[in-house]
Amino acid sequence: MVKKKGMRLSFCKGDMLVIFFVTMLAVLIGVVFLIWTGRDRGNTVVVYREGKKVQELPLYVDGEILIENSYTNKLVVKQGKAAIVESDCPGMDCVHSGWIQGKGRSLVCLPNRVEIRIEGEEESEVDFIVR
Amino acid sequence: MLRGKEILQKIMPLVLAAVLMTGCGVFYEKPEARVEKKQYQASFLTLFDTVTTILGYADTEEEFEKVTDDIYADLEKYHKLFDIYNDYEINNIKTINDQAGIAPVEVDKEIIELLLDCKEYYKLTGGKVNVAMGSVLNLWHEAREDGINNPLAASLPDEVALKEAALHCNIDNVVIDETASTVYIKDSKLRLDVGAIAKGWATEKVCREAPEGLLVSVGGNVRATGPKPQDISWVVGIQSPWGDNSEYVHTLYVNRESVVTSGDYQRYYTVDGENYHHLIDPETLYPGKQWKAVSVICEDSGLADALSTALFLLPKEEGEKIAKKHNALAMWIASEEEIYYSDGLEKIIKR
Repeated sequence: MVKKKGMRLSFCKGDMLVIFFVTMLAVLIGVVFLIWTGRDRGNTVVVYREGKKVQELPLYVDGEILIENSYTNKLVVKQGKAAIVESDCPGMDCVHSGWIQGKGRSLVCLPNRVEIRIEGEEESEVDFIVR
Repeated sequence: MLRGKEILQKIMPLVLAAVLMTGCGVFYEKPEARVEKKQYQASFLTLFDTVTTILGYADTEEEFEKVTDDIYADLEKYHKLFDIYNDYEINNIKTINDQAGIAPVEVDKEIIELLLDCKEYYKLTGGKVNVAMGSVLNLWHEAREDGINNPLAASLPDEVALKEAALHCNIDNVVIDETASTVYIKDSKLRLDVGAIAKGWATEKVCREAPEGLLVSVGGNVRATGPKPQDISWVVGIQSPWGDNSEYVHTLYVNRESVVTSGDYQRYYTVDGENYHHLIDPETLYPGKQWKAVSVICEDSGLADALSTALFLLPKEEGEKIAKKHNALAMWIASEEEIYYSDGLEKIIKR
């Protein structure tokens, strides 16, 4: 921008205040936005063995764990989805269940007495899913 | 002074904007804040060889646990009574089977009640739901278990054995003495298998005693005991038999009804690349082939369980007649493109 002589471009107190309030506004919008989207992002993958909670993993951090009981299930969490990708249980129904995502969904390995559930704060559209 | 006023004029709109923005946030939060009770979920993996799930609203986890503990205790009692594979401290269906052709067995009045209802279901489904066909189902059960444990050696039950077993499925040979509270199987080769009824029947029993506002599922036999807080209906998703876990055929509103689905993908094994499921037609002695899945919606969960099995094995017209007669709604899924609805079902579909 070409500065023309005679135009005042120096900061005054008012300008500072404007900058201050605009920044505040931006931060405010940012915080509100984060709280919003964070609801979904706060979902966790909870592992229950024999009816007891044994582990909790964030849904949006990729990772994998082994769940050992009578058999061993390999749980993978990837890009907001979860699945049992390997299991030495008979039938392997848990592996065949595929990937789950969204609050309220669950994976079950009956022979291993393991349930994996996606839990979170937000109300989901569907309360229960029947197969 | 004038400078101060200027500054005020400049920043006022911004302050207003900021207030409005925060205001949005505050007002948006409010409707949720009004719901005091929290949704809780309990699951049990030890009953009826399936998953039991209870959903409900309570102020605290302890309060919810008290409710689910009671339901679990009742379901566990039925689990033992209706078991055909294991012995317990009490006489159960297995005890009756073991005494077939030998002697009447004194049993809990709930077994009597169940078997009387089973005879009723047999009549109203034209024999498609027959708890006296245990000998046939046993052959399929063994073949399936072996096939699942050793997929390469999976085989179908022996045809001759199936036909022989089919000669011992006459439900009239199951003699119930209500006053003596005994059950006697007259035919020594007849076996009871209440698998098609027991879960739904037990679900109905516990739900009639349970508090309002719960959603109980015993292996997919779903029963609501009243709407959620503020009279909001439960939403039950019928999972697509084809898609992944996140796809539904439909989502349905229920308040005090049961939703039961019989599908060929629920329990099966594979022989020579072909799937053989658990819903055996008493006439052909082989898995029913007309439908991929049939869902039934009506209040009584035991009836819904029986009807879903029957409708799965019957042509649509016949099934529709039976459903209508018992005030049940139904949905038949033949393929992804071919889905039929009974009158009235579309009203409870969530769009």
